[in-house]
Amino acid sequence: MKNQINFKHQFLKNWVLLFLLFLIVLFSILEPSFFSLRNFNNILIASTAILLLAAGETFVIISGGIDLSVGFIMGFVAVSSAKVMQFLFAKGAGYPELVCIIGGCLAGIMLGLVPGLVNGFLVARFRVPPFIATLGMYGIANGVALKICGGFPVSFLPPLTGKIGNGYLAYYSSKSGLSLFQKPVLTERADILALVRLVPVSVIIVAVLLIIFGFILSKTRFGQHTYAIGGNVDAAIRSGIDVPRHLVRTYVISSFLASCAGVLLVLRFTMGNHTQFGATYELFAIASVVIGGASLMGGKGTIFGTVIGVLLLGSLEIGFVMIGIEVFYRYIAVGSILIFAVLVDQIFPDIIHHQ
Amino acid sequence: MDNGLTISDRDGTLNLLIRIGRNWAILFLLLEVGFFSLTGTGYFSLRNFQNILVASTTVMLLATGQTFVIITGGIDLSVGFIVGFSGVICAKTMVGLDAAGVPQFLSIPIGIAVALIFGFVPGLVNGLLVAKLRVPAFIATFGMYGVAYGVAEIISGNVPVHNLPPAVGFIGNGYLLYYLPGRSSLFRLPPNLSPEELKQVVGLIPNVVMIALLLILVFAFVLAKTRFGQHTYAIGGNMEAAKRAGINVSRHLIKIYMISSFFAASAGIIYVMKFVTGRADAGSARMLDAVSAVVIGGASLFGGTGSIVGTVIGALIVACLEIGLVNLAIPTFNLYIAVGAILIFAVLVDQFFPEITYKK
Repeated sequence: MKNQINFKHQFLKNWVLLFLLFLIVLFSILEPSFFSLRNFNNILIASTAILLLAAGETFVIISGGIDLSVGFIMGFVAVSSAKVMQFLFAKGAGYPELVCIIGGCLAGIMLGLVPGLVNGFLVARFRVPPFIATLGMYGIANGVALKICGGFPVSFLPPLTGKIGNGYLAYYSSKSGLSLFQKPVLTERADILALVRLVPVSVIIVAVLLIIFGFILSKTRFGQHTYAIGGNVDAAIRSGIDVPRHLVRTYVISSFLASCAGVLLVLRFTMGNHTQFGATYELFAIASVVIGGASLMGGKGTIFGTVIGVLLLGSLEIGFVMIGIEVFYRYIAVGSILIFAVLVDQIFPDIIHHQ
Repeated sequence: MDNGLTISDRDGTLNLLIRIGRNWAILFLLLEVGFFSLTGTGYFSLRNFQNILVASTTVMLLATGQTFVIITGGIDLSVGFIVGFSGVICAKTMVGLDAAGVPQFLSIPIGIAVALIFGFVPGLVNGLLVAKLRVPAFIATFGMYGVAYGVAEIISGNVPVHNLPPAVGFIGNGYLLYYLPGRSSLFRLPPNLSPEELKQVVGLIPNVVMIALLLILVFAFVLAKTRFGQHTYAIGGNMEAAKRAGINVSRHLIKIYMISSFFAASAGIIYVMKFVTGRADAGSARMLDAVSAVVIGGASLFGGTGSIVGTVIGALIVACLEIGLVNLAIPTFNLYIAVGAILIFAVLVDQFFPEITYKK
């Protein structure tokens, strides 16, 4: 009997993970090429931006807030870091490509901290509701990004940019064996097609960031305080947490991860583009966080859950394309899964609410 | 609060401050219109003001519905795509009936009626999810946002719906009154005009603006003067108290989300009338404009405050700015920065003068 309850408990707790596995199996049966290293790499690469946005959003949502500006901060950082790279590269007779790229990335990430700082101050010091403060920043970041790039992608970046962003950690070919970072020089078409690419560089960068921030959230005092503030602000204040300062840092983290996503876009596409209006990155990031088990009321959620949520949406997107379902069914599926996720939460609160 | 800032204060300066704090939005609107009239060319003209009104109908309608939702302490993220959803249904119905040989005077009203009826469905579902199943409004309506968009794209087959009856555009782009000294006429151009006279005819009150204003007036009355409106404020102010006072909160909330959905559907139909096409993504970018308009107009996202007049002013601030920037040939991206800044400013005013603006 106890085992049965335990089973149900485990089942409901991990329904998202199970659903993800179910989807992978389903798509793999319907379209065998879904179950391939190349395709899983593609799903991961396609999810990189949203993974970072959602990880930052997880911190904010656990603290009981929301950050609607992440999508446009990403675009803002993409165009500004590309601009800096372009500038250094064009002027830089002396600058090696790598310096231009690193300079651009650092400049972009530094600039990207500003919107987070402003969001944090508005929310924590001036008590502007997070929804409004970050909605205002959404407009401002979008406007500034468009102003910087003039509505066109910023290109003519050092060619090395794309090599980093689209590279893989290791390549394996039966002819030349395993090689790290460098794509082996192959001449035969069959060999090129048979080349196995292992672990995209962009995915490694994202994984490292996620592990660091997952660790911060689950194992450090900073993380504990984040949960405490989201659970009960008054109790957190009384127990001596400097809540305003903590909240500012939370929004800065969200903004930092969004900036990393922006820089990564530049590396992958070798150009910096502003975020399209109506791309609704922020909403998909929030959806992933909620599907991953966080509550918009604050106090619960994990980076692991968020990652599963993002991968669920990513697999759904690519899977629908591969089995030839019109892409619009995806919107219906995402909407339904989102509502379902919260309903599970509502109907079985005591099961899931245990941390 | 005990800082002496009460309405009955006799101190003149303080009184002025209070008035400014209370009406900053309308003052801001007047300043904006004054500024653009002085700097722009042809901004201060009947034609331009009518254009501003036409351009702002979608946001005004969405924002009016959103006002009800926000006053109850909720939010409706689905409105933008309900515009597309109902617009596509409206257009498809009209095209279908037209192809079947149904005359225009029947196919157009039937199309509108069908779109309105289906337009209630997303609101009903939102309301049930929020009120009965206690899904947070943000999530329930965001889920609906995806569902409504997906369904709209599937109905339209991912292409804009064309070949509507010709009278659609005639209604949507017409005016209530065509004025020519001595030869005015209602709804259609006076007959037998010479090309010279045709240039002089002045269209007064665009049809779409008239329809939108009528709807907004009716619901402004509902919100301000009826028991339904009072209950809306009561629920947003304190839901527990509202329950104890015997208000059927869940039924009320369902009605609120249906109102919001109704306004979105109306905006979708007006889009079809104006542009003579149905598009699934017609209102996608307008949802956040609508929320901004409501908040700039003085509503609080915590519920309990807000008014339709404030919302309309908020929508006009955004629309006047948009047209004004175009008029001065300033690139539109400055609009996003300006709206974001005004939005944050609106809430800061609210924070610094709470007792002033929060008085109803």
